[in-house]
This record gives sequence, structure tokens and C-alpha cells, in this order.
Amino acid sequence: MTPIFELKNVCKSFGKVTALDGINLTIMPTERVAIVGPSGAGKTTLLNLLNGSIRPDAGEVRVLGQNLTTLSRKQLRHIQRQIGTVYQQFHLVEPLRVIHNINAGHLGHWSATKALFSLIKPLAVAQAQEALVQVGIPEKLYAQTSHLSGGQKQRVALARVLVQNPQAILADEPISNLDPRRRHEIMDLIRRLVDQTGKTLILNLHSIEFAYTHCHRIIGLRHGRIQFDDVPERISEQHVHELYRLETL
Amino acid sequence: MSFTALKPSDTRNVPSPPPLWHRRFWLLSFGVALVFSLGQTGFFREELVNYGGVALIGRVFGAALHPDLSLSFLRLTLDATLVTLAYAVCGTAFSLIFGSLLALPASQIFWKTVFRHDASSRRARVCWLTVRTLLAIPRGIHEFLWGLIFINILGLDPISAILAITIPFGSIVAKVYSETLDETSPVVFNALLNSGAKPFPALFYALIPQAIPDLVSYAFYRFECAIRAAAVLGVIGVGGLGYQILLSLQSLKYQELWTLFFALMVLSGGADLWSSVLRKRLTQEQSDSASIRFLVRGSILLAIVLLPVSLGYVQPDFGRIFSERTGRLIISITDQAFPPRYEPGQTGYMLALSMKTLAMSLLAMVFASFGGMVFAFFAARNLLLPGGIMIPEKASLWQRFSGRLVWVVSRMILLFTRAIPAPIWALICLFVLFPGILPGAIALGLYNFGILGRLMAEVVEHLDPRPLNALKHQGASGWQVFFYGVLPSAMPRFLAYSLYRWEVCLRATVIVGLVGAGGLGRLLTEQLSSFDYRGLGVTLAYFIALTFFVDLVSAFVRKTWH
Repeated sequence: MTPIFELKNVCKSFGKVTALDGINLTIMPTERVAIVGPSGAGKTTLLNLLNGSIRPDAGEVRVLGQNLTTLSRKQLRHIQRQIGTVYQQFHLVEPLRVIHNINAGHLGHWSATKALFSLIKPLAVAQAQEALVQVGIPEKLYAQTSHLSGGQKQRVALARVLVQNPQAILADEPISNLDPRRRHEIMDLIRRLVDQTGKTLILNLHSIEFAYTHCHRIIGLRHGRIQFDDVPERISEQHVHELYRLETL
Repeated sequence: MSFTALKPSDTRNVPSPPPLWHRRFWLLSFGVALVFSLGQTGFFREELVNYGGVALIGRVFGAALHPDLSLSFLRLTLDATLVTLAYAVCGTAFSLIFGSLLALPASQIFWKTVFRHDASSRRARVCWLTVRTLLAIPRGIHEFLWGLIFINILGLDPISAILAITIPFGSIVAKVYSETLDETSPVVFNALLNSGAKPFPALFYALIPQAIPDLVSYAFYRFECAIRAAAVLGVIGVGGLGYQILLSLQSLKYQELWTLFFALMVLSGGADLWSSVLRKRLTQEQSDSASIRFLVRGSILLAIVLLPVSLGYVQPDFGRIFSERTGRLIISITDQAFPPRYEPGQTGYMLALSMKTLAMSLLAMVFASFGGMVFAFFAARNLLLPGGIMIPEKASLWQRFSGRLVWVVSRMILLFTRAIPAPIWALICLFVLFPGILPGAIALGLYNFGILGRLMAEVVEHLDPRPLNALKHQGASGWQVFFYGVLPSAMPRFLAYSLYRWEVCLRATVIVGLVGAGGLGRLLTEQLSSFDYRGLGVTLAYFIALTFFVDLVSAFVRKTWH
């Protein structure tokens, strides 16, 4: 089986700041992987490399067996359609209705005319409705997105990813902007959705609790390097303590 | 220990205020430029005022009490008003269509998206700068000049007036819309692109919906401007209120003049009110309540209905644009214009004219902005009206009455000065002033004072009330709140508006050139009416270079002031 993601010796820096330093990583289909670590460890940079929004300075990023740096524009877009991302800030278009935000998941394969027409008369309504049933807010189909609560917005973002129907879902701290109760609900929802659809999940988490309960595998990232990469059962408190340790001067 | 007992124990530790060298530099330059500009008018040497005309001015303004209300003249006024409205509606509609289409290639985000796989942003920058520079040329030529050009080519048809508004306004819309798109947060757009979405649809799903309130609100602001532009264009003979005003003024029928003035005030004031109410609602935080949505949708619908009605009313002859005669004229004008005639000895003369134009624009800007700043505070709803920031909680009857009176009178003055086209102001100025750049500067100043005063009043109305109320509740008097809260918070915007008005005033110097106010504008109108296209090219080049120079200085001052 080909790995869905494969990183070989990947380095990335922004100016003088090294974000990632020699990352080697292989992720197989249907895995649920949590990436944990303190702020500034390089978690977001790693996800951005995986969805092709940035390029590595050195090393190789392979997605579905393809090296992203050598792809043509069209091929890259084709690969990117297979990776859906949800964000901490939800990244929804607030003035649009929920249905249009969900339909934005179709923009990879809809023609321009179809996409523009849908803004006037919504298309693929049944599919959007089904996605909303899946995320538990079917009544919000025509609601103004700006009127929704944080938890509801993250549900809409998940519905958009469901409609995009990628092979892998990347989630960049999806629960950091939510209250504790919503965090549980959204994490359970994400786990259920990827399980049902057989997708791969890569989660960036600031704190480690949900990684133990919701993932197959935990990767600890610190200063742009992998500290540990193992199943939850084998991650000790010592590991975690080391990962979040404050620098001693 | 009370806080009042706190005293600085060691005054050596008190830091001195930072020197603002660039501000001092700009203020000094401003002073020098002002004296120089006054010198250009002959202020220090010649006799400027024609005291014989004072009685005439009295007669003009005396007629305000007896406007001509005969049925036949009212009918003529109504027709002229509708013609002006129709020009404005068509001009706005077409400029919005062209402007929106051009806004994409004029925006940075468009080229960044096109070249997003490039390692460097160089190609994107070059393309963007090219489009932006090309767009600056139609904008640099005032609608009035476009009007004269189109009359030469297409004749006295409504199409000339409509095109004269469409072309410069279209390029302004393109510039403002592209800047709006560039200022809209691109994170969602980028997120969609990174999930493999096609760039063009993604633009419509992510970027444009976020920018829509600003785009619509600016469209209605353009409509306000188009009403005034349509009135000004009337003066060159395309009909409407401006034309009738000119006829009445020249035939000394001052009572008719005032009927037309009042019609123009109603038209311009109505458009301003509609637009300002709508813009306020659109940009409010809670912009999606049912009543606001109704107002916005109703307005947009009305605007859309107005277009075919307007087209039907003035019936512009679109065929003229593509007619054989037009083609022939364009070819013959191009033949005549090349090669441009430039004699070596001309440079000094052209530079002298440029200086006069520059002086006129600066004086107009100074007049308009100082007047505007003072009137902005009188005309703002949140200062002197009951419940306003400068009115005590328990205001006396007199305070409430006088506050309201000041507000009404200042609003009327602002409306009056901006509704009357600048060339008409220039003609009125010529009653008491000898021809030259001074009456031109005053005419432009008056006209722009009305526009700027209203815009500045909006700035005051949009100030964050919380810090101002905090000052008030801590016991500050109305004047203290004004000097410690209102003035410092409004000043940066006032300054930016004034500098931007300078750019507008410079372009507008051509419209008072027609009535003998000197400078490049006068030469341009002379050359156009005498079909001297070889000379026209040279003058235009000077004029456009001057507008670039002023835009540059204005942008630089705005950037370095803080």
C-alpha cells in the first residue's frame, strides 16, 4: 500500500527562524495521527506542507505517491482536492449562507459557470443537506454563517470538507476556539466522520489529552524536530514532560 | 496618600516630547507653498476686487427670495432635473460595469493568484503596476475635459455626457474596487485554493462576498458624485440643469437661476441623503436585520430600474460611437494631433502655466479643507444636536435650540456650495473679482468645501463614542471633550481627506479654465475649442505629469505624517 503522506528530510525556515528541521514521516491511509507540541513547534508549518500551500526548502514531500515540488499546476490542484483542511479560525465566508460555504467544497471540480450560478440558485442542495445531517445541524442549511456559534461554524467547516470528499483531512487546532463541552463534541464528531468514511486524519493539537483518546498515533514536535512518534499506550508522562518543558536559561 | 500628592521628584527623568521633524518639514513646506500660491494670484501686487460688482452680487442673492415659479418654467426645470439625473444614473451604471471588470486585473491579489507558483513576486508586480499606471491616465483627465473631447467627436448628444462620466469614473471605480479586494482578508480564499479549488470561482466564493458591503456602498457614493458631475457637464452644452443655469445666468434672469439652484439642491441633497443612509446601514455591525436588508435590497432594485428608465428618457444615440463619421473624425484628429507641436521656447511658458495650476489647486484645497473642518463639527449629528457629545446631559432650551439651528444652517450651506457646479461659482466670482486664478481657486474652493465638509462631518459621526463619553462622564466640559477627544481623533482622517482633495482639485482646475481662470486648464479648453490638437497633446502631457506629481506628494505626505 502506498503511504498517503511521506516526508523525507524536510526542512523549512522563515527568514532566520527554522520551523522544521529534518522531518522524516510516513502516514498510511485510514490512520488517525495527532501532532502535539508547544506553540511554535512547527505544527502548522507541517500541515501547510502536507496540503501543498507551502514548499519545503529542502527534502521531499510526497502526497499519494507524488512529489509535490515536481508537479504541474494542474496536477498539484488535482492532489490538493484529495486533502481537506479545517482550521482553528474556521475560515468560512461569514456574509454567505451556510449552503454556499458548504458548496465551496465543490470548487475543485465545478466549472466556473456552475459555481457562479450556484451563488444565485444553490445547486447540490441534497448533498449539502446530507453533510449537515452528518455534522448534526441540518436546520442551518440556509442560515447566515455570521449568525452561527463557534461550534456550529466548525461543524459547517467539517460539512464543507465532507462535500469535498478528500482522502485525508488535516485539522489545525480545530477545537482551540471552542469551550470545553464543544471540544468534546467536535472531537467525537471528527473521529466518527473519518471512521465512517475511511479517511486519514492528521490533527494538530495544542494539548495532548484528546490525542490519547481519539488517535492511533501521536507525534511530538518540538523546535521543528520530531521528539517521539508512537502509539498512545507507549507515550509516557516523561515524554510529555520533556516535550512541553520550558527552556532553562 | 492621595494621587494629587504625587509630584515628580526628579524632573531630570521626565522625557522630552519626541521631535517630529518630518511634520515640521511638511508644515514649513506648506507655509512656503501657500505664500508662493498667493503670489501667483497677484495677491501682493495687483488690484483683485472689482467693487463695482458688489451690487450685482447683491442682486443675484436677493433673487433667492423670489424664484421663478411660473408653471412653464417649473416644467422646464423638472425636465432639466430629470435629464441630469438620467446622465448620472447611466454614467454610474456603465462606470460600475467597466470598473468592476477592470478591478480584477488592477488588483494585486489577482496577479498574485495568477503567478502563485512563481518563486518570486516580480512578474505579478510588473503586471499589476502596468495595469495600474494605464488606469491612471483616464482618471487624470477630468470628466469635464472628456466631455469637451466627446462633444468634438460625437457631437451634442446625451451619449457624450454619459461617456464623459463613464470613462473617468470607470477607472476610479476600478482603482477603489481593486484596493477593496486587496484589503479584504485573503485567508479563506487561500484556504480554498489549497484544497484544490479553481481560482476564479474561489474569488467569487471567498473574496467578493466579504467585500460586497464596501463595494455596494462605494457604488452609491459614486452616484452622488455622478449627479454633481452631470450638473457640471451641463455647462458645456449637453443639457440638464447645468446648461439651464448657465443660460439663465448669462441672460441675467436671476429669478430663474434660483429655481434651478433649488432643483439642483433637492436632486443633489436627495442623492446624498439616500447614499449616506444606505452606506451607514451597509457598514454597520448588525447589517443583516430585516429592515436594513429591505432598505438595501430596495435601493439596489430601484437603482437597477432607474437605468432603463433613464436610457428611455434621454435616449442616447449609441450608434454614434460606432458610426462611420466617428471613425473618420478619430482618424483625422489623430492625424492632426501627430506630431505634437513643441517649440523649444515653450518650456518656460508651459512651466509657468503649470505653476499657476498648482497654485490654484493648492489654494482651493486650503480653502475647502479649512472651511470643511470648521463646518464638519457644526454639521455632525453627534456633537451639537440634543444628546450630542458637546451638549450637557441636561441642556437648556436655548442650548438645544441653538445647537439645532447651527446644524441646519451649516448643512444647508454645505449642500448649497456643493450643489452649484464649480464653473457657475467661477462665473459668479467674476462679478466681483478680475479674471485670473484667484476666482478659479475660490470657485473650486467653494465647491469642494461643500463636498469635503460633508465627508468630514461623516468622519466625526463615525468616531468611536466610548472614549468621548468617558471624558464627558469624568466631568469634562463640551470644549474640553472637543479638544482632547474629538479633534485629535478626527484630525488624521481630515488630513488624509484634504490631501486627497488636493488631487481632486488639481484635476478640476480644467473646469474653471473655461471661464477664464488661468493655468493649463484654460489653455486646454482653448485648444479644444479651436481644434488645435497638435498643441493639445503637449498641454495634456504637462497636465498629466502634474497630476502624477501631486498624487505622489500627497501619498508621500500621508505616509510619512505619522
